[in-house]
Order: sequence, then structure tokens, then C-alpha cells
Amino acid sequence: MTRERGALGNHAPVFVRHAWIAPLVFFSIFLLYPLLVLIRTAISADTLTALVNSGPWSIALLSTGQSLASVGLSLIIGIPIAGVLARYQFKGRALVLALMTVPFVLPTVVVALAFKSILGELLAPGLILVILAHAYINVAVVVRIVGAQWSALDPRHINVAQTLGANPFRVFRTLTLPNLKASILSSACIVFVFSFTSLGVVVILGDGSSTRTLEQSILRQTSVLLDFPGALASALIQLVIVTGALILAAKMRGATITLTHTHRTKVRGMRRSAWVYSIVILSALIVLTPLAGLVIGSFTSTQGMNFSSWVGVINAQDRFAGLGSPRAAVALTISLALITALIASAIGGLAAIAVMGRRTFIAAIALIPLGLSAATIGLGTLLAFGRPPIDLRSSGFLIPIAHALVAIPLVVAVASPALRTADSRRFFVASSLGASPARAWWTAYGTLLRTVMIAAGGLAGAVSLGEFGAASFLARADSPTVPVQIAKLLARPGDQAYTTAAVLSTILVVMTLALMLFIDRFSAQGRITVS
Amino acid sequence: MTDSGLSTSNLVIGYSDSQPLHEPFNFRVTPGETLAILGPSGCGKSTLLATIAGITPVLSGDIFLNGARVNELPIHKRNIGLVFQDPLLFPHLSLIDNIAYGLRAHKVSRDRARVRATELLEWVGLAHVRNNRTWELSGGQAGRVALARAVAPKPEVLLFDEPFSALDSTTRIRLATEIAGLVRSQEIPAIHVTHDEQEAELVATQMMRM
Repeated sequence: MTRERGALGNHAPVFVRHAWIAPLVFFSIFLLYPLLVLIRTAISADTLTALVNSGPWSIALLSTGQSLASVGLSLIIGIPIAGVLARYQFKGRALVLALMTVPFVLPTVVVALAFKSILGELLAPGLILVILAHAYINVAVVVRIVGAQWSALDPRHINVAQTLGANPFRVFRTLTLPNLKASILSSACIVFVFSFTSLGVVVILGDGSSTRTLEQSILRQTSVLLDFPGALASALIQLVIVTGALILAAKMRGATITLTHTHRTKVRGMRRSAWVYSIVILSALIVLTPLAGLVIGSFTSTQGMNFSSWVGVINAQDRFAGLGSPRAAVALTISLALITALIASAIGGLAAIAVMGRRTFIAAIALIPLGLSAATIGLGTLLAFGRPPIDLRSSGFLIPIAHALVAIPLVVAVASPALRTADSRRFFVASSLGASPARAWWTAYGTLLRTVMIAAGGLAGAVSLGEFGAASFLARADSPTVPVQIAKLLARPGDQAYTTAAVLSTILVVMTLALMLFIDRFSAQGRITVS
Repeated sequence: MTDSGLSTSNLVIGYSDSQPLHEPFNFRVTPGETLAILGPSGCGKSTLLATIAGITPVLSGDIFLNGARVNELPIHKRNIGLVFQDPLLFPHLSLIDNIAYGLRAHKVSRDRARVRATELLEWVGLAHVRNNRTWELSGGQAGRVALARAVAPKPEVLLFDEPFSALDSTTRIRLATEIAGLVRSQEIPAIHVTHDEQEAELVATQMMRM
């Protein structure tokens, strides 16, 4: 007897049953092989020495402190916003929710520059700026994860508790908070991972000592110090800590309530309205102020407000030796995002179909890049395919492949649950009406799959637009991607470099937001969640 | 005492002044009595209970509890026992802590609250499942725990919002009889919303159709 796999068992068409092959081949060539090359290149007695050396561990400790502070601030800001958006229905609620997501989807170098624009004169580069920027980026994670669980809590529980004599504070402490515990811990773990592996923010806003992350170390060890054993030791330590946090997040996520209904009430009463609308206004201000600073910065030069930097970028002026023209960087970044979207949605989509058929090992492999740093992926790809005998650097495919590896976990995370919502009985109804297995499968899943793939591809494109770690290894010095060019411009002195970086950042913001609006449209059609 | 029990005076319910759900309500339920309210879905039965409990604001008119006007009193100060169609047990708490919840909110010590909760669990015939989690109970068992939880803080009025509609008819009749007995023995005024005539006849001392 053959084992049944998935809801369709052996009725599934051949291509569905074998959907795991293409992702496995892709991951073997572009993920597992580069990792093996990286380990083979770097592993030596020096790696062990580096592992027992206090250097990477003290950076890990420092980075843990910074990440925990970032988690704390994200929760303090995110929980009240999550509560308001989850519990109340009011005009503009969807807009506020979309607005809260903006910082998360923006490239980290853009956020860093935005913070530099508004707080650069008040605060010196260092821990406080880094924590503020991390909280800004990650509040969306708290709002989405905690908010989803909060809106699933039945308000009648609260009514029952109140009729039993519990005042609002007691209700929150004894009922709401315990029921949100899993989602708060889950979001805390994810924020921890993002803050712990931060690169763009710490490069631009950090002081180089108290704010160092292992990710930054890996970049420095490989590109400046050429200390590959040391970099491998840092990558291994990071892998262990990040994997631990992700396992904890997944465990907590499993303990959260499945969202079946959302329960929102209209805002009634003066006190409640004041609370809700002050939170709404405050969140809008928090999100928009750094972005406004960025846009204003792009028009500001020593001669006051003008369009000179925009004109320079649009006319493709190559004003910075060795950095290529900003316009070329924009064109390159867009084309890389498109290729990444195609690769990630194809491979991620097939992986999600394979997961539906219970080939869960594919999901496990697809999630590996989450535990690795983007810089490690970039380095591994460079070592495996960026030098003889296999030199693909000139082909232009190395960056989109590395970006696809970074984006695929997100694609699988979006596509898998969405595909599970499709009712498999439709397949059997179509089959009973005479449809071939392939046609019946497409009838049951096709429309949803198409929608999911477009949205997931858009998400992968957004990841590619802002990705910094892998691109900083793989992009050629004279033709960098926009995020790499922004970071390099900020390392140069002078107002012109700064305003050009601000222009490029504003362009990235517009492109990312346009892509997110596009994704949102498809997500709404396909009833899928991109968070 | 003439004012004891629950009464309403020209009570108008609904979600906006322009669209009241029903003609003004004028009724009185004295301790030990149960008013059964019958009516089709959507006629405002549950909204009436939500208004009495303080969940939905009063559009106009008054609600009196033991002679005191409670229109503006917050829910947690009304001392009302509310039982919904779903038992709505708190999933993160044990059965004993679910029942003790209201007692703890009324500042009863943890030990005393747990002793009382254990007595009530025995009263509803569920002492043998005291260590079960809420999701391990059958629908009937969960309904009994919800009842014990509502009764524990000695409420001044009990409101039942179709409490048995998810249960089979045998369990429904048994629980309805038990509730009627409880209301009489404890001398608590009660309102029982249902769309089941047989259930209404079992519990009611007065009946109203909406």
C-alpha cells in the first residue's frame, strides 16, 4: 500500500506529486553547495580558535543586549497600536494598518538614512539611534502578530469577565494579556532575530563598537580583514542563536489562536474615542516623520531647497568616482527585483505545493536562509559561483539568486497557509464530473495559486529592492544596487553625497510602496495574509 | 421589598436612536422568577440582554436593579450573571479558576474562592472532571461550568442568552430544569432568551414574545 500524501492522497496529479524536485535541485545547487564550499574554504584549526575566542561571543552578547532593548521598545510601541487596530472599527483603520507596515517593508538603509535625517543632529551615531530605528522597522511585526491574535479574542469573554466584577485593568491583566502571551513572545522572537542580524541600520547609524552585530562582523571579516575562519565562526554562532529564536517563535506561533472571526467594535464614548484617535495620530506621526525628513533631505543642499540632486540622478550624472551613476543603479535594482520575483515565486510556489503534499522537508530546507545571514548567503554564493571554475558574476544572475534565497522563506510562509485554505473537496467534485487530475487540481487550486504567486512574487521583489547584505558581496563596485550605493554614498563626506543618497532612498520608498500596494490588491483578492 | 428584582421603564434598545429594535420595554422580574423571552432571530432578544448587562448603551428609558437605576453603571459593577449560547470559558484557566474568576474579582481570597468554586463544580455534577482543561469538556459540561461561573459571585440577576441551543434535547431539558430550580432556590431574578417553546415553558414563570 502506498502512503497517502496531503488532502488529495494519491489522487493528486503527477506534477503536484513531484513538485518537490525542482526546489530540491535549486536549493542543492544554490544553497547547500555554496554552504559546503564556504565551510570547506573557511574551516580550519583557525575556525575552532575563532570559535573559542572571546571576540565573536562578546559581539554576540553586545548584540543580544541591543536586540533585547529593540524588542522592548517595539513591544511598548506596538502593543497599544495592535490593541486599537484589533479591537476597534473606525474610518481609516485599513489605512493606518497599511501605514504601520510601511517601515517594515522599507529597505533598512533607507530607514537608517531617514533617522539620520531627522535625529542626526540631536543624537550621535550609536546605540540609541540603532534601537530607535530597529523599533521603527519592527513595530509592524508586533502590530501584525499580536493584532491578529487580539482580534481573534472573543469580546464576549471580556463581557463575561466584566459581569463577574472585573474592572478594565483586571480584564486586561487576567484575560487579555494571558491570551496574547504566545503572540507577544512570538513577535518578540522575530523582532529579536531582525535586530540581531541587522546590517544596514548598524552600518549607517552605529558607532562601530557598542552597536556591532555578527552580521557586520562577517562583512568586515570577509571584505576588509579577509579572515574567513573568523567569519565562519561568527556565522556559526549567529546561526545557532537565530535558529534558537526562530524555533521558539514557531513554537509560540503554534500556541496562538487560529483566526476564525475578527471581533471589532465601533468606537463609542468620549474617553475611548480620545484613546483610540490619539494612538492613531501618534502612530501616523511615528511612521511619517522620518520619511518626511528623508524627502525634505533629498531637496536640501547648501544653497537651500532645490531640485539639483533630483536633476543629477535623473540625468544619470556620474558625480561620484567609482560608484557608477545613480540612474544606472536604479535600473539595475529594478531588473534584479523582477528576476528575483520570477525565481522566488516559481521555486517558492513549487515548494509550497510540495508542502501541501506533506513534503515538509522542502519547507525545512527553504527556511534555512532565515537562520543564515544574508551576508553569509552572499559570501557562499560568491565563493561557489564567483570565481573559476564556475564564474557567474558577469552573467548577472548571482544577485537575484541570492535575493531569491533570502525571499523564498517569505514566499513559502505566505503561499503555504493560503493554499491550505482552498477546499480540497472541490478537487473531488471536479474529478467526479469527469475532469482529469491536472484539470481538477487547477479547478480547485488554480485561481488561488495564481493570486498567491503574484503577491508572493511581489513580496520577493520588495525584498530584492532593499536587500543590502548579500548585494554588498555580489554587486560589482562600479555597478552597485541602490541600497549598496546609498551606504557607499553615506560613507563619503559632503552634502552632495548625502542628498543623492536621500534622492535614491526616496525613489526606493516610492518603488517599495508601489509594489506593496500591488501586493495588497492581490492579497485582498486571494484572501491571503502578507505579514 | 417592593423594589427588589429587575425592572425596566420605557426601555428602548438598538444601535442608533433613529432605528430602535423594538417598542419600549416595561417589565418586572422579581427574585425567584424567570422571564422567558421568545422570538425569531434578529428581533433584538440578545440586544435586550446586552443592554441590561451594560454591554450596549441604553437608547432611552431606564433599567432598575433592586430599586437602583443602573443605566450608567459600568458592567463590572452591576453584579449580573451572564450566560451566552457558547460557554465562553477562559481557555487559559483551569475549570476551578474559571468558576473562581468572579469571586477573585470581588476580592475573595484565592483559597476561599477555590473552595467555593470546588463546591459549585460539585453542584453542577462535574467534580470528576475538575482537572480537565476547558477544551476537554463536552458542550453540556462546558455549559454547566459557565453556569457555575455565573452563579459564583452571587449575582443580583441572571441573564441567559440561548444557553442551550447548541445542546441535544435531553441535555437541554435537564439543564433547563436545573436552572429553574436554581433560580427559585437562590431567589435570583432571571431572564432566559430562547427560541425553543418547550425550553421556555420549563424555565418560565412569565413569558414575553418579541
